[in-house]
Amino acid sequence: MITFEGVTKRYPGGVVAVDGLDLEVPAGQTMVLVGPSGCGKTTSLRMVNRMVDPTAGRILLGGRDVRGSAPAELRRGIGYVIQQAGLFPHRTVEDNIATVPMLTGWKKGRARGRARELMDLVGLDRQMARRYPHQLSGGQQQRVGVARALAADPPVLLMDEPFSAVDPIIRASLQDELLRIQAELHKTIVLVTHDVEEAIKVGDQVAVFRPGGKLAQVAPPERLLGSPADDYVEDFLGFDRGIRRLSFFGSAGLDLDVEAIASAEATVGMARQQAKDAGQPWLLVVSPQRLPRGWVAAADLETYADGTALGDVPLSPCGHTFRAGADSLRAALDATVLSRTGRAVGVDARGRVVGVTSYEKLRAAIQVAEEASESAGARGRLAGGTRETGHAGGAGAAAGGNGAAAWPGPVPGESGGTA
Amino acid sequence: MNDEGQGLVDWAWVTGNLGLIAYYAWQNLYLALVPVLIGLAVSVPLGIACARWGWLYPPVLGVTSVLYALPALALFALMIAWAGLTEAIVIVPLTLYSLALLIPGVVDGLRAVPEPVRQSATAMGFGPVRRLVQVELPLAIPVVIAGLRVATVSSISLVSVGQLMGVGGLGYFFTDGEQRDFPTEVYVGIGLIVILAFAADALLVLLRWSLTPWLRAREAAA
Repeated sequence: MITFEGVTKRYPGGVVAVDGLDLEVPAGQTMVLVGPSGCGKTTSLRMVNRMVDPTAGRILLGGRDVRGSAPAELRRGIGYVIQQAGLFPHRTVEDNIATVPMLTGWKKGRARGRARELMDLVGLDRQMARRYPHQLSGGQQQRVGVARALAADPPVLLMDEPFSAVDPIIRASLQDELLRIQAELHKTIVLVTHDVEEAIKVGDQVAVFRPGGKLAQVAPPERLLGSPADDYVEDFLGFDRGIRRLSFFGSAGLDLDVEAIASAEATVGMARQQAKDAGQPWLLVVSPQRLPRGWVAAADLETYADGTALGDVPLSPCGHTFRAGADSLRAALDATVLSRTGRAVGVDARGRVVGVTSYEKLRAAIQVAEEASESAGARGRLAGGTRETGHAGGAGAAAGGNGAAAWPGPVPGESGGTA
Repeated sequence: MNDEGQGLVDWAWVTGNLGLIAYYAWQNLYLALVPVLIGLAVSVPLGIACARWGWLYPPVLGVTSVLYALPALALFALMIAWAGLTEAIVIVPLTLYSLALLIPGVVDGLRAVPEPVRQSATAMGFGPVRRLVQVELPLAIPVVIAGLRVATVSSISLVSVGQLMGVGGLGYFFTDGEQRDFPTEVYVGIGLIVILAFAADALLVLLRWSLTPWLRAREAAA
C-alpha cells in the first residue's frame, strides 16, 4: 500500500507541481493518475521511488517513509515502466529484463532464466531473448519494459505513460495484457496517463488531477463516470460518459426475449402465428443448432405460402452479436443500436442464441444496474471509501466495452498478446 | 644507388635496409600511439566531468582548441628548451592535440545517451557510478572511437614533423632522402605512414565492432 500524506512539491522559483496531495493506493490495486499536462501527476509518481523528493509531506510504502531508504535500494524494490520503454539499447532483451536481478547480485544464469519466465508472462516469444531492443516493434519493446519492471517481483509497479508512444491498436492490446497480468499478479500499481479512456479501462481507482497539482476526485471508474465531483471532472471525462459507464455493468441482468426466436425448420405459417401471438414485428431465425441465421419481418411473411420452410425465406443479416452475461450492457446496447431491427442477438460462449434484446429491456436493465451501483456506492462510502465489489469483474467488462470498435471479438481475458 | 632510374622505388635499397625501416616504423608508431593513449586516459575522466557539469565544457573545449591551433613545429621547438632532445618533445604536443579530438568524442557520446535510457537506469536502481560504467560509457563507445580514429591517424602522420628537431620516426627518411637526393627513402616513408595509419584505423574499426555487438545487428538490418 502506498500513502501520500499532505505531499507538496514546490520547485525553486515558486512553481508548485503537487499541492497537498493526500492519496491512498490500496495494496494489489491499480491507481491511475490522470490529468492534463503539468498537473503534477508524473511528479507524484516519481516521488514514490524518490526520483523526486517532496518539499513537504511524506510518502509511505507499506507503512514506511520512502525517505528512510537509500534511493538505489528503494528503486530496486519498485518496478518502473516509462514511455518509449527506455530499454538499454546495448543489452539483449533477456539482459534488459534481467537488469534488476543482476543488480541485486543474482547469478547470470538464474537471472536469464527468470527473464525467460517473464517473456512468457508478457507474451513475448522466447526466440527474441537474444535480440536487441531496436530489432523489436514499439509494442514488443513496451512488453520488454513491463517484463523488466516485474523481473525482481516487486510488490509495487510505477508506470509513467507506459502506452502512449504506440499506435491505438497496439495500445489496446497492451492495456488488455496489463489487465491480464494484474489479475494474475495483484501488484500495487500507480499508472500515469493523460488518456482518460485508458484510466477508465485499466484503473481500479482513478485520481483526476487539476492544473496546479491538486487532486480533483478519486473514485473507481464507474463511480467517476456516474457522479463526477464537479464541472472540471465532468469536462475532463468528456462526452458520452453515460454510455461509457455502461461498460461497467454486466449484461447478466438483461432480460432477453426468447419469443422472437423461430427455427429455420418451422413453416412460414407457424412463424406468422408466432409473430402474431408474441406481438413481434421481427423474428430471429435460428439453425437447428440454435446458431443465428438472420431476421425476417413479420410483415414480409405475408408474401410467402404457409408451407414454405422458414429457412428458405430471404433473411436480413443479424449483424453483431454479443455474449449474453459475459459482455457489458454497453456492448449489448451497441449491438442493438447497430441493428436495423432495433434488436440485438445475445449468444452463449459457443455462439448459440440465448435471446434478443430490445430498447425496453435494455432500459430496464440499465435502471436496475444504476440502482445497484448507487446503493453499492453508498455502502462503499460508509465502509470508508473502499472499492465496491461490483467492480471485481470490471476489468473484463471495461475492456469488453472499450473494445466496441473492434468488437465482436474474444473477451479480453482470452485475447493473447499478438502485437 | 640512384644511377639506374628505373621505377620510383629502388627495391634493392629497401631489401637491404629492412632493419632500419622497421626501426623507424616502430618508433613512429610508438611516438604516435603513446600520446593517443595518454590523451584517452585524460579525456575520459575530463569528458565525463564536462558531461556531468556542463559549465566546465566550454572552457575545456576553448583551451584544447587553442592548443590544437598551435603549429606542431613551434610546439616541438618549444619543448626542446623544456625537455631537451628526448621523445617527450613529440609525445607531449601530440598528447595535447589528441585532447581536442578525444574530449568532444567522450562528451558527445555521453550526451547522446537517450534521456529515457538514463532515467530508466536510475529508476531501476543504478547508482551514479554504476550507471556511468554499465550504461552510459558503453553507449558512448561508437562516438569515442570515432574521435580516437581521427586522433590516431593524425598522430601517426604528425610524428614525422618531429624529425626537424631530430625525433621523428619515419620522418627520418624524408630528411635523409632529401639530403641525399634519394627519393626512394621519401616514398618508403610516405608509404609506411599511410600503411600504419590504415592499419591502426582498421584495428580501431575492428575494436568498435567487437565492443558494440548491438550495432552489428542494426548494420546487418540496414
